Amino acid sequence: MAKYLLRRFVGMVVVIILVLTIAFVLVRLAPGDPAALMLGPDATPEEAAELRTRLGLDDPIILQYATFVGNALKGDLGESLFFNRPVTSILADRAEPTIFLALMSLFFALFIATPIGIYAAYKRGSLLDQSSVTSAMLAASIPSFLTGLVFQRVLATNLGWFPTAGYGGPDADIWVRLGHLILPSITLGITNSALILRFTRASMLDILGEDYVRTARAKGMPERRVILRHALKNAGIPIITVVGLTFALLVSGAVVTERVFNLPGMGNLVVNAVLRRDYPVIQGTLIIVASIYVLINLATDLIYFFIDKRVKY
Amino acid sequence: MSVRKSLFALSSALMLSVSPVLAAGTVNVAIIGEPDTFDPMVSTKDVVSIVTQHFVETLYTFDESWAVVPLLAADMPEISDDGLTYKIPLREGVTFHDGSSMDSADAVASLKRWLEVSSRGKSVADKVAGVEASGPNEVTITMKEPYAPLLSLLAFSNSAAVVYPEEIIAPEIETIVGTGPYKIEAHEPDQYTQLVRFDGYTQPTGAAERKQVPDEIRLIPVPDGNTRAEGLLSGQYDYADGLSTETYDRLEASDAAEPVLLQPFGWPVFAVNHKKGIMMDLNIRKAVQAALPFDDMLFAGFGNEKFFKTDGALYPEGWTWHSDAGVELYNQNDQEKAAEYLKAAGYDGSPLRILTSHQYEFHYQMAEVAKAGLEAAGMKVQLDVVDWATLAQNRNNPDLWDIYITHSPFLPEPALISSLFSTAREGWDNPTKNEILNRFTSESDPEKRKAIFGELQKIVLEDVGFIKVGDFNALQGKAKGLTGVNPSPWPAFWNAQVSK
Amino acid sequence: MATVSQTHQPPGFRDVLFARRSTVVALVCFVVIVLACYVLPTLDLTAIGKMSVRNRLTPPGADYFLGADAFGRDVLGRLLVAGQTSLQIGLGVAILSSSAGIVIGLVAGFFRRLDTPLSRLIDAMMAFPDILLALSLVAIFGGTVGNVILALSIVYTPRVARIVRASTLVVRELPYVEAARALGSSTLTIMVTHVLRNILSPILVQATFIFAYAMLAEAGLTFLGVGVDPSTPTWGTMVNEGRQYIDNAFFLILFPGVAIALSVLSLQLVGDGLRDALDPKLNKET
Repeated sequence: MAKYLLRRFVGMVVVIILVLTIAFVLVRLAPGDPAALMLGPDATPEEAAELRTRLGLDDPIILQYATFVGNALKGDLGESLFFNRPVTSILADRAEPTIFLALMSLFFALFIATPIGIYAAYKRGSLLDQSSVTSAMLAASIPSFLTGLVFQRVLATNLGWFPTAGYGGPDADIWVRLGHLILPSITLGITNSALILRFTRASMLDILGEDYVRTARAKGMPERRVILRHALKNAGIPIITVVGLTFALLVSGAVVTERVFNLPGMGNLVVNAVLRRDYPVIQGTLIIVASIYVLINLATDLIYFFIDKRVKY
Repeated sequence: MSVRKSLFALSSALMLSVSPVLAAGTVNVAIIGEPDTFDPMVSTKDVVSIVTQHFVETLYTFDESWAVVPLLAADMPEISDDGLTYKIPLREGVTFHDGSSMDSADAVASLKRWLEVSSRGKSVADKVAGVEASGPNEVTITMKEPYAPLLSLLAFSNSAAVVYPEEIIAPEIETIVGTGPYKIEAHEPDQYTQLVRFDGYTQPTGAAERKQVPDEIRLIPVPDGNTRAEGLLSGQYDYADGLSTETYDRLEASDAAEPVLLQPFGWPVFAVNHKKGIMMDLNIRKAVQAALPFDDMLFAGFGNEKFFKTDGALYPEGWTWHSDAGVELYNQNDQEKAAEYLKAAGYDGSPLRILTSHQYEFHYQMAEVAKAGLEAAGMKVQLDVVDWATLAQNRNNPDLWDIYITHSPFLPEPALISSLFSTAREGWDNPTKNEILNRFTSESDPEKRKAIFGELQKIVLEDVGFIKVGDFNALQGKAKGLTGVNPSPWPAFWNAQVSK
Repeated sequence: MATVSQTHQPPGFRDVLFARRSTVVALVCFVVIVLACYVLPTLDLTAIGKMSVRNRLTPPGADYFLGADAFGRDVLGRLLVAGQTSLQIGLGVAILSSSAGIVIGLVAGFFRRLDTPLSRLIDAMMAFPDILLALSLVAIFGGTVGNVILALSIVYTPRVARIVRASTLVVRELPYVEAARALGSSTLTIMVTHVLRNILSPILVQATFIFAYAMLAEAGLTFLGVGVDPSTPTWGTMVNEGRQYIDNAFFLILFPGVAIALSVLSLQLVGDGLRDALDPKLNKET
């Protein structure tokens, strides 16, 4: 087991260094001179040259890369061109809405999808099964910004049930902030529930086909109890897996959702950074989000490993 | 069912705690984006002016009818007969937000910085002989040649000649300290700028009162126009800038909000590249001018005659600067004549590159319609639709465009129109125009200036220095109970009263 | 495993594919959409792209079957032309990412020494959320149709590569592949003739889904302001342009929205059907 853990850990470090490399290369591909970009149109070539030297942009690329990776591993992701502040401190400010949004929408998605998925599996082939699976897929087929716009329009502006946009302002306490996340979470949750629903349904079908469930049935245990006692107990693992799987999906969706609802999260930050050509922020966000994904993946695998000893490595 | 019910219960419970945020005395303003700086000297962006005018002040400002009135100055300047010396008296007892009091040393240091770093300041720097303190509360500006627009430049909130304490003056100012009626309490980029009343404020003598009515002004960047409208309609914002004219009807029908139509607001303009490319040829420029279907362009951009006027004069009727000189060249919508100009130019079919962005929907819409008109005249047109950051960068490179699209509010002083100057990025360096422009800026008699401006407008149309598309009205919106905000391209909120 | 106990021959590909009514309906629906986009414009039933600004925002009716947009252009005609671009983006991304994914996956699965570095690279690429990566890539390359295809292909390639690698690892151990190797077939021959043939089905399924996701992603990118530039009609740019007319002309976002949703949904249903048909082990789902 220790050997397995060590292997996973080394793998993770390698992946994170690759993530850093990809982010580094990506930003180097961008056209234009970052120094000229930072200084704006009125800068003289001398000023640009001076800044290039200061930023180390004239160093050999390999040295720049080494410096970049070294700094990143020390937790220094550079400074935003727009805010003149360290990228890490900006990201720390923007993490809360995104994390809460991801968690709440995951909660909504599980809340919507798991019971339906179980029920659909239980009633497989029925009209309810087919229609719930199809409508979940339909929900996932509509561009999420459209769903968000319609929700915002109808539920927030017209009916006034939710705040329309934003994160509550300077004196908003945690409840107000969470209140501003309900509608975005539902929007994002609905889009992502399709995957969870199908996953739950499929794993329930798997479990319902297992020998011990058939045995229980054969012994005359009522179906409801079969479902609740045996099947549900075993649905935990797939759910953990799906949480890991949907993380990337949630962050991707969060980019759009945060934009629609003007939430000051990391997604909105990165879109603004793209529109402002704030490359260090784009780079830093990519690195942080990807690293979190790697860590979550590792965590789910480890949980999987400890819960389900049947899994062979 | 029960799922839904409990969801609603949860949200309404949370809504209860949401409402107190909108406490009386706080004005929430949705602005179009995060200001990239709080130093209005270095920026010409309207959003920077809107935000910063609350906490930093200029020596002069404009009143409602765009006349220059004193703000930090005690009175209008004493101008020598040759128009070369401006003696500006300063108000006494003005304190900065850091508690220090303002004197002529602060004003001189600030003006000197303005001449060095701000784009409008730089445009007059070579005409300024010196800026000195001629007393503890008096500043003297000496000019090398008479320059009539100087006071307008000093009054403008855009690329503004604001006064900072001498101690903080630096090429880049980290923390802004001003004299304005409000000061910055907190700033979360992309979330809000929170301004609170500055207790040490003293009222100006000439300008409209800054009554400091709200305890707090919150300027909230909301980049998406739809979201600004939704937030205003739901009562979350008290004021929203930059709304699409398409939301007008909805605002009018709403119980919570109402439209604020700025009429007329400004003019969309096709800036012309005089430095490089095919637009350097006058016949091509004339062909473009003749071919453009201005009516349709405006209609596509603004949708309803309520929001635009097909008008070739650089200033609309009712303004001092209004003139009919040369307007017959506007809105010819004559593609055949354009084809003749093209022939005269020996047009070889090389594409006319129109650079525009989808940041402003109407820019792009005008470009699409313009393209159809130009193609009907036999031109090849290449639309480069990019985001605003790219446009702002690419327009500085004359190799990349022939026309770029922008817009401007009607400015109180024509000399603020940068495209008129050969030093602008368009590089319109026509000798006749330069001569007229020189006469215009050095003349101080208002009536004569008016006449010269007519000549200027004529040459703009005849030489196609730039192409004015028309007049348009801008839409802002305010909550029903809000009073005390004058409609302006740069709305200010120090007198805003919210009754809820 | 429900089918394991069955003794009769597993049903054929076509039987399974068409057994589910939803698959058939979805397939028909998708084919109709494709045909409409490619055939109808050639018939020139509508004056496509012709501007008549005075008729802007005309609601659907006799003059304009699906209404007119902000330039007074016929929405139906534009929808069809835009559909071609949207479908091209979907198909382009599906083909490009599948091809690249196959090569990378095969190499990783076949050459032990390259497996670890390639797999780690795949892991690293997959760690970036797709919209986030696509957004950065398009921002860097610029918003043209080709660049959007390229960016989305880079995003989806690792997903295919991972599946190909996994399948390759299984197939390469199969007895007849071992036999082929023992008989002296070259690695390339084995890769192409045996392995590729065997893993085509999961790739086809995946490609169908990528087709669908790419069309959705294109719309999302446009919404975020970095997609295809608005002068090139796609369903994504149409929806996005229609956003500001949500009050006065809802049909402007409705029709392209429905077009996206229908195409994506039918592709996903077809993908599901394909998966079931190609992988008999999953038949229990029906």
